[in-house]
Amino acid sequence: MNVLTPIAAVPSASFIAPPGPIEQVRYACALGALTSVIAIEGAIPITHCGPGCASKQFHALSGISGYQGGEFHVPSTNIGNKEVIFGGADRLDELIASTLKIMEAELYVVQSGCIPGLVGDDVDNVVRSYQRRGVPIVFAETLGYRGNNFTGHETVVKAILEQYVAKQPAAPKRAGLVNVWSLLPYQNPFWRGDLTEIRRLLEGIGLEVNILFGPASAGLAEWRAVPSAEFNLVLSPWLGLSTARDLEAAYGQPTLHIPALPVGARQTAAFLRAVGDHAGIARSKVDTFVAAEERTYYRYLRDFAHFYSGCTSQYRLPSEVNVVADSAYALAVSKFLVGDLGLNPGVIVVTENPPDSERDGIVAAFRDLAPGIDGEPLFETDGHRAHAVIRAHDRIGELPIVFGSTWEANIAAEIGAPLVEVSYPVTDEVVLNRAYVGYRGALQLIERTYTTVVRQSTEENPEAAAS
Amino acid sequence: MPINLRTPQAETREQRLGTITQWDGSAAQLARDSAFTFGCGRDCGPGGRRLCELSSPYSQASMCAEQIAVTNATIIRDTVVIQHAPIGCASSQSFTSRYSRDLAARRGWKPEDPRSICTNLGEQDMVFGGVERLADTIRDAYERHHPRVIFVATSCATGIIGDDVDGTARQLEEEIGIPVVPLHCEGFKSRHWSSGWDVIEHGILRRLVPHRPDDKNPDLINVIHLGGPDVFSPLLNPLGLEVNLVMGGNPLERLAALSTAAATVTMCFVLSYLATGLEQEYGVPEIRAPLPYGLDASDNWLRDIARVTGRTHLVEAVIASERARIAPELDRLRRLLKGKKGFVAAGAAFAHGLIADLRELGVTVDDAYSFHHDPSTDSGDPEQDSLGHLVQTTGDVRNFTVSPDQHFQAHAALKRARPDFVICRHSGTMAVLAARMGIPVLPIFYSNDGIGYDGLLTIGRAILRVLPRRRFYEDVEAHSAFPYRREWLEETDPFALEAAE
Repeated sequence: MNVLTPIAAVPSASFIAPPGPIEQVRYACALGALTSVIAIEGAIPITHCGPGCASKQFHALSGISGYQGGEFHVPSTNIGNKEVIFGGADRLDELIASTLKIMEAELYVVQSGCIPGLVGDDVDNVVRSYQRRGVPIVFAETLGYRGNNFTGHETVVKAILEQYVAKQPAAPKRAGLVNVWSLLPYQNPFWRGDLTEIRRLLEGIGLEVNILFGPASAGLAEWRAVPSAEFNLVLSPWLGLSTARDLEAAYGQPTLHIPALPVGARQTAAFLRAVGDHAGIARSKVDTFVAAEERTYYRYLRDFAHFYSGCTSQYRLPSEVNVVADSAYALAVSKFLVGDLGLNPGVIVVTENPPDSERDGIVAAFRDLAPGIDGEPLFETDGHRAHAVIRAHDRIGELPIVFGSTWEANIAAEIGAPLVEVSYPVTDEVVLNRAYVGYRGALQLIERTYTTVVRQSTEENPEAAAS
Repeated sequence: MPINLRTPQAETREQRLGTITQWDGSAAQLARDSAFTFGCGRDCGPGGRRLCELSSPYSQASMCAEQIAVTNATIIRDTVVIQHAPIGCASSQSFTSRYSRDLAARRGWKPEDPRSICTNLGEQDMVFGGVERLADTIRDAYERHHPRVIFVATSCATGIIGDDVDGTARQLEEEIGIPVVPLHCEGFKSRHWSSGWDVIEHGILRRLVPHRPDDKNPDLINVIHLGGPDVFSPLLNPLGLEVNLVMGGNPLERLAALSTAAATVTMCFVLSYLATGLEQEYGVPEIRAPLPYGLDASDNWLRDIARVTGRTHLVEAVIASERARIAPELDRLRRLLKGKKGFVAAGAAFAHGLIADLRELGVTVDDAYSFHHDPSTDSGDPEQDSLGHLVQTTGDVRNFTVSPDQHFQAHAALKRARPDFVICRHSGTMAVLAARMGIPVLPIFYSNDGIGYDGLLTIGRAILRVLPRRRFYEDVEAHSAFPYRREWLEETDPFALEAAE
């Protein structure tokens, strides 16, 4: 990769012109990508921003998102009047120097917020002077008024790849090693468990995996091995595609793009076969793993059929799935609920303001949720407008369920739907390693969904349950 | 110096009160040095000097005034808050959502989503200005929710690009016919987040407190608090006083009644801007007695309220009955807490109050950590010198650290203190730090918990509930580490980095 390329990726037009006022905010600013750094074992963000910026992004994304917690003792210049008037580059220099004295990390990622962008601090120059001295430090320009934490994540990843990974001694390609670019850490409350399950699945068919973020990752050792991988797997509707394109250009690694995170046996088997074929793994090897997993999985589904057929229950089982979430989970949940559990698609709102260039691809991925049944995603960042659409949706005879965020509590109650919290912000779930993807995740998603249905039918809504 | 309500911007705490955020030494020394600012009202013997802020080359992410101002504006019912900002400032909306639902549950209100809208400024707004977006958003907010008041909060970005928020607010106010109240809370303008209290209280004083000279209610007492359960009515109703609880999500009617009350108390002098302003503008006297933490202070606080509101004949009976009521349980708690060593981390006057509570409960407090220090209050009355009062009535605190939630300094302070438990507010950094160091921690979310006679019981019982969690915390401590260098992990001086410079 050409390390001399200017760092600041030119964002797409949709980010230069953000989509207008937002009520019920569902993502953070680009600086919020400091959580992606925190998600890498051994890396520490150093933030050059106002006094409340970094902690606000962190506590929103880690706290009000399933109470994930995480290592937060992030150095920050906490810019004041003086730096606004006279510039803050010297203050940043002082902060980096003192950080190196007091903290210990394998990699430092300097992130700038709104203020340095507006007053014109030459952050790049400050960071370069440390790079010249051999300090493992990179700069990601994550200005709060440009993009959001999704694009900020891509900026941070690009900075690490160009300024840190590319400077490691060249290593030969390793057959069967794959880099996985998937869920946005912290933004998705279940990312830790999901990435763990994805790793387990890929290892199950014989691959070696750089999962890169979270407890299932070996941390920066995996990042240093990124150039050695045989290919990049982008497992999300769009996030990670630009990273994979860069890596393809730099290291000749091909990209396998699978938009839908696999939930349940059908999706997961198809996913593993696609990956296996791409990696040149013998079908028999994949099939053996799939068969073993399915044996367990379908035992559980067989027994769940008792509940789902109503043999011991009189609950109002939902028939229409409504989703308000980032595209990754909107797609994954819709596919499973419609394709596997046999619900009808209702309103599907995609909330993260994906770049214009990727929207056609996202819409296409919602086709054929089940054979012949398409979902029609609505791109909407504003909760008020999203709820108006859910309210106005014609659902005669249907029993709706909502998969969304805490912001959906009132609209779900209004339409008499149980709410399963799957997207940021999540205040009513405590999440550790729960996963909703793959074989194991699908079973947990069923558990959570129908526990919610049962509780809502009996406790909160006794009249509805009796009717 | 009077509070200046002519300008839409509140002066910062640093300007008005000489607030500092970095200091280390004994509480007695800090109180003595602060006395300079109080103009020799108390303890101003030789040795008093103007407080100087220490400065640290290293610092960690903290909190900003905008978050305080916006959160506390957002939870006021029937209002909409517009955050005129890039999207990140509004990521606290999710926190406010949780907070307002929790508040509703505690106060028996209908749970509602907080109404706040972010103008979501982007790069082109930074170049061309964002006032048109702001005007559109104000119209949208009015159409969507028909609020009775709209607040407009500024941000670092709009402060720097110079958007005319006041002009836009005035113009839209005429157009839609409800108050549109600017809150100037750019995070970079104050070193401490508590300036956010002044911002929201400034906005309230200027725009939401009508002068009602004919509606004076001699039985009404304003109580300005941070939010949470009403612990004040049980204390003050026996005096024949009706509590007008403001802030903490209370409705606009409560604010509109502020000028009619017989007196105002604040549960924390950090919030006293509004109380001082009410006295200055409407002659509603501000109760300045030390805050009701500990038995004697609670007695004297009630006596001062009774004196100001003309109820002295009632107060001794109330005091005697309250003391008698809690005595058996207080004895039990003192027996169980005897010999325990506590560490307090909270904001200024609130920290001083918690220290007094712990000492009343028989807990030893030699170490404390205050998120900022106000050498003075807006009234300038030495009676409100809560640190001086603490030292005089309960003794010195040997190690008193002032630091705005700085993890590395708190780590050293806890290493020095080695307490049996930590009691803290603003739990974002401190609570998990203590936990990760193997120390049981009691986070105080609702800051009324330690008030008055019942406050002693509430705090004492809560401490006893967390002490057994040491088993969990020690387990985590043994299996995790902070990414500081070894020298810092062993450091017990929170300001060692300065000393080394």
